[in-house]
Amino acid sequence: MTERLKLTDAVIKYGDIPIVNGVSLTVNAGEMIFITGANGSGKSTLTKGIAGLLPLSSGTVERTPLMSYVPQYEEADRDFPARVSEIVLTGTQRPYKLFTSRSDRKNAFDAMKALGIDGLADKQIKTLSGGQLRRVFLARAICGKPELLLLDEPCAGLDAQSHEELFAIIRGLLADGCAVVMVTHDISDIDLISEGRSIRISGGRIAGYE
Amino acid sequence: MNDIIEIFTYPFVYRALIAGSLISVCASVLGVILVLKHYSLIGHGLSEIGFASLSLSSALNLPAMYVAAPSVFASSFVIMFVSRKYRTAGDIAIAAASSSALALGIAISSLSGKTSNMNSYLFGSVLAVDEVDLVTAVILSVIVIVTFIVLYNRLFLITYNEDYARSLGINTALYQMIISVLTALVVVMGMKMTGTLLISGVIILPAVTAKIIASGFKSLVIISGVISFIAFIGGLTLSFVFNIPAGAGVILMNTAVLILVRLAVRKRK
Repeated sequence: MTERLKLTDAVIKYGDIPIVNGVSLTVNAGEMIFITGANGSGKSTLTKGIAGLLPLSSGTVERTPLMSYVPQYEEADRDFPARVSEIVLTGTQRPYKLFTSRSDRKNAFDAMKALGIDGLADKQIKTLSGGQLRRVFLARAICGKPELLLLDEPCAGLDAQSHEELFAIIRGLLADGCAVVMVTHDISDIDLISEGRSIRISGGRIAGYE
Repeated sequence: MNDIIEIFTYPFVYRALIAGSLISVCASVLGVILVLKHYSLIGHGLSEIGFASLSLSSALNLPAMYVAAPSVFASSFVIMFVSRKYRTAGDIAIAAASSSALALGIAISSLSGKTSNMNSYLFGSVLAVDEVDLVTAVILSVIVIVTFIVLYNRLFLITYNEDYARSLGINTALYQMIISVLTALVVVMGMKMTGTLLISGVIILPAVTAKIIASGFKSLVIISGVISFIAFIGGLTLSFVFNIPAGAGVILMNTAVLILVRLAVRKRK
């Protein structure tokens, strides 16, 4: 099995306070891990650490460079003058390439279509509802054909149909060998992916495997 | 009318026209990034540091750009770094650095007895653009525009969401440095044209106006460049008609366009 993510004794601190405290985790190609836990348990901090947005105080993280991340809250200007297609296309960017190709644009269009937002391609992002914007960020995450997909509460703001569509897309990605790590509050999500595992975080540590 | 058209046939005027147009377009394109990243004050801070440097170079009888260019470049790195790391402290640092630099420039000019140059440093003299300035403006403008085009996708991503760019493994610090260099280039180029007090307006105002009407990032960049070009030509004409400094004419024209666009959009709604 190809490893997509290996976290070893990861510790992430805010100041002197450890928010993630010694988490170890391995996710292989085609595997899905759900991360559950109460508010403030360290789930989002853990995903930010995996995404490289927060430094580890100790421990190591090894991950495939082909990673996409959908944060719980996008820390970007809601009033930013950009079209949906422009935002989605950024998901195809990689450190080693500066220009977008025709296949990148096709992947972006396919991702928008899969999430039912192809009709919004020319809309400004500031005109979208919260749920539509969520789907834009999901489309951006999948259009880069990631090998590791990190999703932090991706279902927040999605209606039932979009929720179903998202899980159908995740099943497709898993079948293609993508590893998926999803933070969720909704335990019923776990039943939607039969081959998924789940870990429960409490006080920054893994408190249980389900 | 014929008098105005005739004015544009003089060599010193068409030099001003070419150099000024190029600098205006470069400044406005870069201004899009600075406005959207809430770095609008940076151009202002750098230009006043440029003023202090120009005063110093004049006092020491050194070529202006030998002192101004390195100072502005170094300051741009420091200001960008502080703004990035400590957002609120960044604004304070820029305000403190710019007023201190302005005061220092005035003090140096007074002590050296070269206060006559102060006016041109502060308010610019686009009509004094010589052949060397023109060639420099063309070369630097090509560097700015080509860099912007080549790095367009990256600059868009980093302007929109730096965190997301970092999660993709992109070296955001490198691109911040590139933005700093381009900003410093534009400020150094623009100081002679509009003066150190007004260059930040040339950088910021077209982007602010374009943001009102643009539907996407690409259109924002294009509209900002077009507005800046038109405002420069209009401002230069204004300066001939009313016998006011060209820099002031360009800024007033940019302000007029901003007000008109704002009113037109409000009326449509």
